[in-house]
Amino acid sequence: MKSESLLETYAEKRANLVRVFAARLRSMSEAEDLIQDLFFKIERLENQEVGENPSALLFQMANHLMLDRLRSQKRAAARDAVWLQGYITSSQGQVLADEPSAEAALAARQQLAALIQRVDELPQKVAQAFRLHKLEGRSQAQTAEVMGISQSTVEKHISAALKRLIQARN
Amino acid sequence: MKTQPTDSEIAINWLVRLQRSTVSPADWLAFDAWLSASQYHARAYDAALLMDLQLAGYEPEIIQAAPLPTRAINLSVGPKTWRWPVMGAALASLLIGAGLIWQSQVHVAPETAYATAVGAHKTVLLSDGSRIDLNAASRLTVDFDRTRRQVRMKDAEAYFDVAKDPRRPFIIEAGHSQIRVVGTAFDVKNRDGLLVVCVERGIVDVQPMPSAGSRHYRLRPGQALSYDPKMGLINVSLARNGEASGWRTGRLIYRDQPLSVVVADLNRQFDRPIQLGNAQTGKVRLSGVLIVDTQTAMVKRLSALLPLTISDKGDGIVLTTR
Repeated sequence: MKSESLLETYAEKRANLVRVFAARLRSMSEAEDLIQDLFFKIERLENQEVGENPSALLFQMANHLMLDRLRSQKRAAARDAVWLQGYITSSQGQVLADEPSAEAALAARQQLAALIQRVDELPQKVAQAFRLHKLEGRSQAQTAEVMGISQSTVEKHISAALKRLIQARN
Repeated sequence: MKTQPTDSEIAINWLVRLQRSTVSPADWLAFDAWLSASQYHARAYDAALLMDLQLAGYEPEIIQAAPLPTRAINLSVGPKTWRWPVMGAALASLLIGAGLIWQSQVHVAPETAYATAVGAHKTVLLSDGSRIDLNAASRLTVDFDRTRRQVRMKDAEAYFDVAKDPRRPFIIEAGHSQIRVVGTAFDVKNRDGLLVVCVERGIVDVQPMPSAGSRHYRLRPGQALSYDPKMGLINVSLARNGEASGWRTGRLIYRDQPLSVVVADLNRQFDRPIQLGNAQTGKVRLSGVLIVDTQTAMVKRLSALLPLTISDKGDGIVLTTR
């Protein structure tokens, strides 16, 4: 398979790759940036053998790019304050994010503050794992270490907290 | 009977799984297959992702502080042999304002440790013109070089008035947290594992857990940050003027604080220990201003404010709720 088909796969998988790396980097703009870099990288590949599974290859390339970035501290200093009041929509393979007004941002933050309080109604360990991982920015592994519990238990707690948040918002 | 998980629940499980430290190409292929199977899947995932991105950008609300019910009980009760008479306190703050001497005063060479005993205060003048007022029973070290000004404090409370020097940031390590400033005045209290930073002037950068790469909080004048590392709880609020550094003028100021905290503060002021009769007593909450003078007078005033029974045990004082 040639790199031409890699570009085709890229066009097809771009939106979903952004979805994965937005979750990993916890930033839409950093994920967009990363997947843009991926495009430049595959564009430069000339008629290279890409093997049986171009989709898996794209993911691995993106993953390497991300690790390189994290190592060289190329991440933007500030996290983008994504007060995407409305939504992220998928349109022709592009993930779009709405930029809200200051007023809308404030309203969204107040709404979020109220939602976060709902997590405190859950068992204490769930609320603690949520705060350490989601609000203080510790990794799942660091959260597990601080709390003295397994990583899979941390995952369960985080899932439970997020489910409560989404449920409360709807 | 277990009900079928909804799209939203599956989407959240995916999001959490994608946030593990490593994700394999097999994970990606499975995720991509699930996403592509239905437009509802993508929609559910995007909702979860949006929530998570908002959380990543979330900064605690600045809460409008409730007015402090100021019941300064500086009248009548107790003898007049106050260690901190009101006039003296006012005079002391005037002297501080004028940059003059207050209690002991030391000029500093690099890498020096400072400590105060129970009941003692100390003012340290640093070589760069900065000043540190140390509250009772506190200990910290100061280490200056050409590139930075470093202070380390463990169990301590201090007020910092930092001289401006953009080329040499002033960095305070308090427990797990790091506080970084250029030129400003603020109070840092790091007691029993709980950190409280109150800013009087300038901008202060607090990073609660630098080792875990946690985010920075920029505090402006009048703002206070408290951090409980055990619970991961961070709260940014408005501090009432003088509330945090009232100790410098012989006052302890509380807004809805448990008695356990008040007693811990008193025990840094006086040698004779005050104990709590039971756990319930420690949970009684206090709002008000306590003038620091003699232990007997302070305990008496406390019992006038709160429903407390005082019993003198010879080697200490025991407070119990009535």
